[in-house]
Amino acid sequence: MLKPKEMSRAIIVGHKEIMEETIEALHGTNLFHLEDYNEDGSGLKLGRPFENAGEVSKKIVQLRSISSFLGVSKSDAPKQKESTVISDLDSKLDKLDAEVTEKTEQRSELESKLKELETLKKDLAPFSAIPIDMELYRNYENIAVFAGTVKEDVGPAISKVTSAYEMEYDQNTGTVVLFVKKEDEAKTSEVLSNFEYRELRVPDTTGKPQDLISGFAAEEANIQKQIDALETDMQSIKDKYSEFILASDEVLSIKSEKAEAPVKIATSEHTFIIDGWVPADSVSKLENIVNTATNGRAYVSVQEIEKKDTDIIPIEYDNPKVTRPFQEIMDLYARPKYKEIDPTALIFISFPLFYGMILGDIGYALILLTIAVAIKKLVNSDAVKPLMNVLIYCQISTLIFGILYAEFLGFPLASLHTDHGTIPGLIAGFETITLFTTPIAGEPITYPIHRTHLVMTMIIATALIGLLHINFGYILGFINENRNHGFVAAMLEKGSWIVVELGIALAVLGYTGIAPTQIIGIIVFLIGLVMLIKGEGAIAVIELPALLSNALSYTRLIAVGLSSIYIASTVNLIAFDMIWSQGGIVAAIGAILVFIFGHALNTVLSIIAPGLHALRLQYVEFFGKFYEGGGRKYNPFGYIRKYTEE
Amino acid sequence: MVDAATTATMMDPAGLKAIGAGLAVGLTGLASGIAEKDIGSAAIGAMAENESLFGKGLILTVIPETIVIFGLVVALLIS
Repeated sequence: MLKPKEMSRAIIVGHKEIMEETIEALHGTNLFHLEDYNEDGSGLKLGRPFENAGEVSKKIVQLRSISSFLGVSKSDAPKQKESTVISDLDSKLDKLDAEVTEKTEQRSELESKLKELETLKKDLAPFSAIPIDMELYRNYENIAVFAGTVKEDVGPAISKVTSAYEMEYDQNTGTVVLFVKKEDEAKTSEVLSNFEYRELRVPDTTGKPQDLISGFAAEEANIQKQIDALETDMQSIKDKYSEFILASDEVLSIKSEKAEAPVKIATSEHTFIIDGWVPADSVSKLENIVNTATNGRAYVSVQEIEKKDTDIIPIEYDNPKVTRPFQEIMDLYARPKYKEIDPTALIFISFPLFYGMILGDIGYALILLTIAVAIKKLVNSDAVKPLMNVLIYCQISTLIFGILYAEFLGFPLASLHTDHGTIPGLIAGFETITLFTTPIAGEPITYPIHRTHLVMTMIIATALIGLLHINFGYILGFINENRNHGFVAAMLEKGSWIVVELGIALAVLGYTGIAPTQIIGIIVFLIGLVMLIKGEGAIAVIELPALLSNALSYTRLIAVGLSSIYIASTVNLIAFDMIWSQGGIVAAIGAILVFIFGHALNTVLSIIAPGLHALRLQYVEFFGKFYEGGGRKYNPFGYIRKYTEE
Repeated sequence: MVDAATTATMMDPAGLKAIGAGLAVGLTGLASGIAEKDIGSAAIGAMAENESLFGKGLILTVIPETIVIFGLVVALLIS
């Protein structure tokens, strides 16, 4: 907790004879983060992939292309024995490939037929009203044929040029088909060009166009039926083989990873050197496994971690199970560096706290809690689960704040005493109790806290929370700096901010006359300023106002919450106005619709707005004070089996 | 009897407050929007290149959001 897992650098050396066994053993443990070797002129060369690499990758390509053809997706298939998968692999894969290729070829043939029909239909459409067989358009010695569209009837104009012609004209589409003598072709063409004549492509087919077109529908349906039948076949192939595909994909991936591993490893003529990282608490386990696999012929040595290497140490989180979902939120920003504080456990507290403070409504908390639990149960995805867990934590916090604020879907649960009398709450008899009056704006603090009537107090309270959170960040920054660059640097870079704040606080106390500390405050402030300029350079002065704006930024904890309340209560107001002022069934249905849609909208906003704002407070205001990030992910050499077992 | 001219020139303080609050939220909202549009489009562009920049892009995009929050706070203080 608060620190990434401790890592050790391990180097494994051995004779090339035992390289395969060593790699096999390392892959099996899934512990060792392999460091890729770059040839650096030291005489060591990258290894060559094992002999079976080519064959394995060929099979993987074959299998994956079939898999993407069939659209096989991940599922909860039962685990299969690896040995049976391997023994079946060759025969089944070829059979499957043949089947799928046959089906896909048939399908693409049918599809191209369908396309041809469609083009023909399109080409024939303009001729549909012209009762001439399609074969009569071609193969004349002394007759010229014009087939095209014109803007109006060309009959009269043509008859002026020649008397020997045959014409069909379709008023609706403007299609004209004209047969003239060869010697009149030029003249006719001239006439036609005056009528915006555009030639049509005459489809190469026989028969009357309208008969042909009406016949197409049946033919198309027939082809479509065949395609559908093929699709069903493919589906049944998919159902039959998807477990096999998933399992063999896994087996082949593992084989390929192992076969390709030598290309990451330094080798000489007779030896190999594997460099990498292993969690410090697993070093002995690694040693044991390598020794057993190679009969003690490979030598594992743990190296001292040099300072220049701290940036490349792979980072594995080391958090208790409850806070683990928040690692996703950390990864969204950046993984911590090795020597840095891992703030996962801190945002496990502050993120849901801020989220709850913003939303603070029992109704929305229950709705979102139900949704989150349902999604977590129904969706079996490693990516969704942690996010749902985060949402659940946030809703629990929202529920607690909801009880504190006594709000339900924007309705106040308790009665409210104002200058204009008492407004009853949703629960009859639930009276607001006044606890004490704050010095700020004379607003009384009550239970439950009516946020809408305590605006001034809440704004100041949230800004103070912000100040605390920011200073906590500075303290963490101090610890980080102290660890990496020593006490002086930490004091100048991070401690100076706290000194500056202290100076401002003392000066303000003096100015308001509470304590005679005005001059001391100014002196402390100036000392802090000098420290800051020494630590971070003159540019830091520009950052000073950020202290104020960062603290004020936390007023969003109340501001965003109030906007959510106002949206909810506006929905309630509209819905109830519709019922009470009009009555009747129509108004009641309308009111229910307004109520449901309004609150559905606000529920969605209730994830986005408080979530983003609470997240932003962590990322910008809090992390900005201490967090650097940018660590490499610990990605051990190995495979987590899902569909097969050894 | 109240003079018609006086009634016309007299403005309801509550109404003026509401206008002020509205301006505070509305104008700061516009300002946030203008500031966020450039950052947002640049962030999306960066994310298209490298999806792991989502977190950083999100943070940079929501930084100007503070402007409208200040507007909202001012509006709450006015009303």
